Amino acid sequence: MKPTTRLSRISARTLLATGLAASLALATGCAKSEDDGDKSSVSKDQGDSGQVVSEPSEGSGPTCAIDAYGGKKLDLESATVGFSQSEKEANPFRIAETASIKAEAKKRGVKLLTANAQSQFSKQISDVQDLIAKGADLLVIAPLNSDGWEPVLRSAAAKHIPIVTIDRKINTKACKDYVSFIGSDFVEQGKRAADQMIEATGGKGDVAILLGAAGNNVTTERTKGFQDRVKEKAPDLKIVFKQTGEFAREKGQQVTEQLIQSKPGIDGIYAENDEMGLGAVNALKGAGKKAGDVKIVTVDGTRNAVQGIVDGWISGVIESNPRFGPLAFQTLDTFTKGTKVSQDIVIKDSAYTKDNAKADLGKAY
Amino acid sequence: MTDVLSVTQLSKTFPGVRALDGVDFTARAGEVHALIGENGAGKSTLIKVLTGVYAPDAGELTYKNEKVSFATPLDAQHAGISTIYQEVNLVPLMSVARNLFLGREPRGRLGLIDFRRMHREADEALRRLGVRVDVRRPLRELGVGAQQMVALARAVSVDAQVVIMDEPTSSLEPREVQTLFGVIRMLRDRGIAVIYVSHRLEELYEVCDAVTVLRDGKLVHTGPIAELDRLRLVSLMLGREIGEVREEGVTKFSGEHAPGTQPVLRARDLTMRHALHGVSVDIRPGEVVGLGGLLGSGRSETAKAIAGALPTDAGSVLIAGTPVRSGSPPAAIRAGISLLPEDRKAEGIVPGLSVRENIALAALPGLSRFGLVDESAIDKIVDTFMKRLRIKASGPHQKVGELSGGNQQKVLLARWLAMNPKVLLLDEPTRGIDIGAKAEVQKLIDELAGDGLAVLLISSDMEELIEGSDRVVVLKDGTVIEELTGSKVTEDALMRAIATTGGSHD
Amino acid sequence: MTDLALGGKAPADRDRILRYLQDYGVYLGVAVLLILNIFLTPHFLSAENFRTQAVQVAPVLIVALGMALAIGSEGVDLSVGSVMALSTSLLSLYLGYGTWIALIVALIGGAAIGVANGSLIAFIGVQPIVATLALMVAGRGLALVLLPQLKDVRDPTMASLGSGDVLGIPYLVLIAAALALVVAFVVRRTTFGRQLLAIGDSRPAARLAGLPVRRVLILVYVCSGVLAAVAGVLATARLTASDPTSLGNLMELSAITAVVVGGTPLSGGRIRIGGTVAGAVLIQLLTATLIKHDLPPSWTQIAQAVVIILAVYAARERGKR
Repeated sequence: MKPTTRLSRISARTLLATGLAASLALATGCAKSEDDGDKSSVSKDQGDSGQVVSEPSEGSGPTCAIDAYGGKKLDLESATVGFSQSEKEANPFRIAETASIKAEAKKRGVKLLTANAQSQFSKQISDVQDLIAKGADLLVIAPLNSDGWEPVLRSAAAKHIPIVTIDRKINTKACKDYVSFIGSDFVEQGKRAADQMIEATGGKGDVAILLGAAGNNVTTERTKGFQDRVKEKAPDLKIVFKQTGEFAREKGQQVTEQLIQSKPGIDGIYAENDEMGLGAVNALKGAGKKAGDVKIVTVDGTRNAVQGIVDGWISGVIESNPRFGPLAFQTLDTFTKGTKVSQDIVIKDSAYTKDNAKADLGKAY
Repeated sequence: MTDVLSVTQLSKTFPGVRALDGVDFTARAGEVHALIGENGAGKSTLIKVLTGVYAPDAGELTYKNEKVSFATPLDAQHAGISTIYQEVNLVPLMSVARNLFLGREPRGRLGLIDFRRMHREADEALRRLGVRVDVRRPLRELGVGAQQMVALARAVSVDAQVVIMDEPTSSLEPREVQTLFGVIRMLRDRGIAVIYVSHRLEELYEVCDAVTVLRDGKLVHTGPIAELDRLRLVSLMLGREIGEVREEGVTKFSGEHAPGTQPVLRARDLTMRHALHGVSVDIRPGEVVGLGGLLGSGRSETAKAIAGALPTDAGSVLIAGTPVRSGSPPAAIRAGISLLPEDRKAEGIVPGLSVRENIALAALPGLSRFGLVDESAIDKIVDTFMKRLRIKASGPHQKVGELSGGNQQKVLLARWLAMNPKVLLLDEPTRGIDIGAKAEVQKLIDELAGDGLAVLLISSDMEELIEGSDRVVVLKDGTVIEELTGSKVTEDALMRAIATTGGSHD
Repeated sequence: MTDLALGGKAPADRDRILRYLQDYGVYLGVAVLLILNIFLTPHFLSAENFRTQAVQVAPVLIVALGMALAIGSEGVDLSVGSVMALSTSLLSLYLGYGTWIALIVALIGGAAIGVANGSLIAFIGVQPIVATLALMVAGRGLALVLLPQLKDVRDPTMASLGSGDVLGIPYLVLIAAALALVVAFVVRRTTFGRQLLAIGDSRPAARLAGLPVRRVLILVYVCSGVLAAVAGVLATARLTASDPTSLGNLMELSAITAVVVGGTPLSGGRIRIGGTVAGAVLIQLLTATLIKHDLPPSWTQIAQAVVIILAVYAARERGKR
């Protein structure tokens, strides 16, 4: 090693950092995107479509009370809540989820601390530890993984900090390591998507599935629900094609292009998220198909997809509601006042069809 | 003194090379044994056999009165044979103490490293060698000399019976060399056998007891160093007898040139840490100046410094009175300096490209218009030089890597001649090429000088150097110690000059 | 005295076969896949289908052209996928000034990443794999800071760039073909191309021969960055949306595969543009075949891995020569 190596390593880093900072300043400083004029598009309409619990929570399923968990009663208004988000707010779901938590905290006048793990599980663990160290009395966690939570949750439980996990469940003991899980039933989403598909195609014909990312529980469950319901209710609807679009629009478009070349007679496409569905719409347009030639059903409920229903390209969108704020805070409020809450709170997702799409476009995120 | 490690009738052949040919060698307890020889003599092969890197083809290895064969270097290490290489092979980011005890750290309860004990023992071990450093600091913060001492301390502390040192002083300061010698004497007094490889004659006479000289894979001499005078040692290494009658016409040099009067190249006080200490060389047009000296005396470094291939710390190079920016090959080339490097395969040819591309490589910008290559201009030049230098290839599109060494060398010469250079620096131009091609290259050098080129010739082949050069500048330890001119350009004079005491830079 | 170093007869024969496989195996592979598909895949033999395959392969090919230059210089450019993301972010951010200005800004972004890569490699001596890895991470981060989420592109010029054609040949395919010709010309006929190959084959020798090593290396990575940015712009046009989160993900692997399968050795000194085009087409056909026959997605990855291993094996055996 030459003696200059250390120097050059430092200068390499400095060079990189300076260069990036400078380019960032340049790039953003005078940017002007297409629609800077109308800043209407996203996230103005919080609150009016907060989640609703799918079934009466009292009595059904196990519950959790504050004595069993071992915490102490407190007043939510004066408490500090920590929120740990799993992924960068780079897709509509995460954006709406974080915005909803923030809006609800503001509405209730609760002090909120937030952290984002940027898709790194180790960072999420340290984020949660940080939030506790910074004085969070209560925690809302959107977990990146289902496993690996025991150590950090034990240390939170030792301090009797009530925890609510949202959108993904974690594999530890409810009412011991955490209080409640609030989330959608992905299998149910798949089933309802199948219902929409059966209705759109009349229960007959060939359909394709654009799978989500491999090895993801959302993919597995949305697939299972769809297949089970089709088998049960419409045996004449055949699933002839299953390929991954990795939850991305570009991949959804590419796979659909191959699909309509090799199976020109396809009747329906079930896309496991809106982005792949929109990619499929692109592919159909490119191949000269007309709106409605191929029935598309998607899951999520983003504004673009609901607009797709209005335009006639998409038959139905099953919502996966990201607005956990009201329900999460309500659960924490009930719990800290001493009333028992359900351990598993499954939310009721709504759906968009041509009947309500236009009217409810404002509700989409 | 008892024999510790010895080999008898050792042979080792690599494809095309007989690296060791029936060599006997013995290292004795309490003796510092010098192992010397020029390039290709077989020193490194012998060391690698002794340390288990290579298995010998024939011959026996005896260690502490038992026949042994080391399958791996680790085996040899465990048996007590430690090697300290020229380049320190330690972990630069770890602390000095960790490096000293790497792989055999003192453990406390629970199997954890006992750092306190390790630091204390490391400190003691280094103090014994006269080195005072903070053993908790990362190794890389130490000077090269101190790092070498750590390597030595590590070697000694593993209960070594034999310590092999391969050019340990090549990157040390004079003061550090003295410390090292102190340690070597201490090891000797403790009854350890030391094998010492170096090209610095002074060092050998200062610290060694016995000497073994290898040449071309054969043993040429072994015995106490005191019984061998310097001149004799040099002549043994170079394989030339003092006063031996020179056969005329063995080489293809005519011997006589008519140089111009003003030097075209003036290299002044070239200085490079650990390598050159104020070397000055002048060459006139049409003159062949030889650079003499042993391996490691700074010959190649001088050539590379002139060609901008190595950065200098001080000194200047002037071509026809105009200074050349140092450390930049393109600047040197623009000024008219061309270098045929010693390591032809790694630094000379571009093996995957064709003969044609290799010849045109340096001249490319001149053979292009607006960045587009002028193919017909290249064809013309390539054709001219392939004919003139009689390059034997299946055609201009054959890959250079597939040619013989001699033809590769000619391709390189063609590359430079296409640039119309003023000065040609030739570092071992005929090494590793067969006799026929060698004669051709020698003849070519002669012709080029005849055409008015200034040539610097470096060669370990003494005959080539003496017969080919009009003048010989003799280097030793990075300093010019003598210049042989006119009738004094003889092998005897060269060997005497190399064997002279002094000339070391300190 | 022999001028040619020849081995025994049998190894020489094997060497010839391997050499032939490395040079032309990729064309053979493409031919085999085409024939198989014509017989086995319904509706394969249609203009529409070929158009689809050509459009899908265009961005990969453009990135692979830049990658071929980097690999030819005994380097690699891992930042290409992130450059695509950065170019799509910049494009979307500057469309307000007009299509052409936004396009130019996007390409400048690619060039800037190339300058950063090249400078780290040429001046500071960072290994290409490390330098471009750093820019891969930084580039994607920068893209997401500039444009945190997918954004629709409604610009009509962009839309027609993505879906328009001349005499039935999509713009994307025309642009990719033109760039392939340009890069092939640069490699064969320019000083830069020759110097690049010499540097890739033996950097010490190139340095001692007085070649402008640093300048050439920086230019190589600038080319690679600009080509990746072009690919990013075209992909954006086709998608009619800027999606910096997923655009160009794993693109570096597809591009390296296309280059290596096409017979360009990872050890540098040789660039095969024809082979690179065929390599990209081969992978596209492979993916399309597996998707059209609805085979499990994991098969695609395994099939790609097998192709890469075969290509690297052929190259390695030859390297031992």
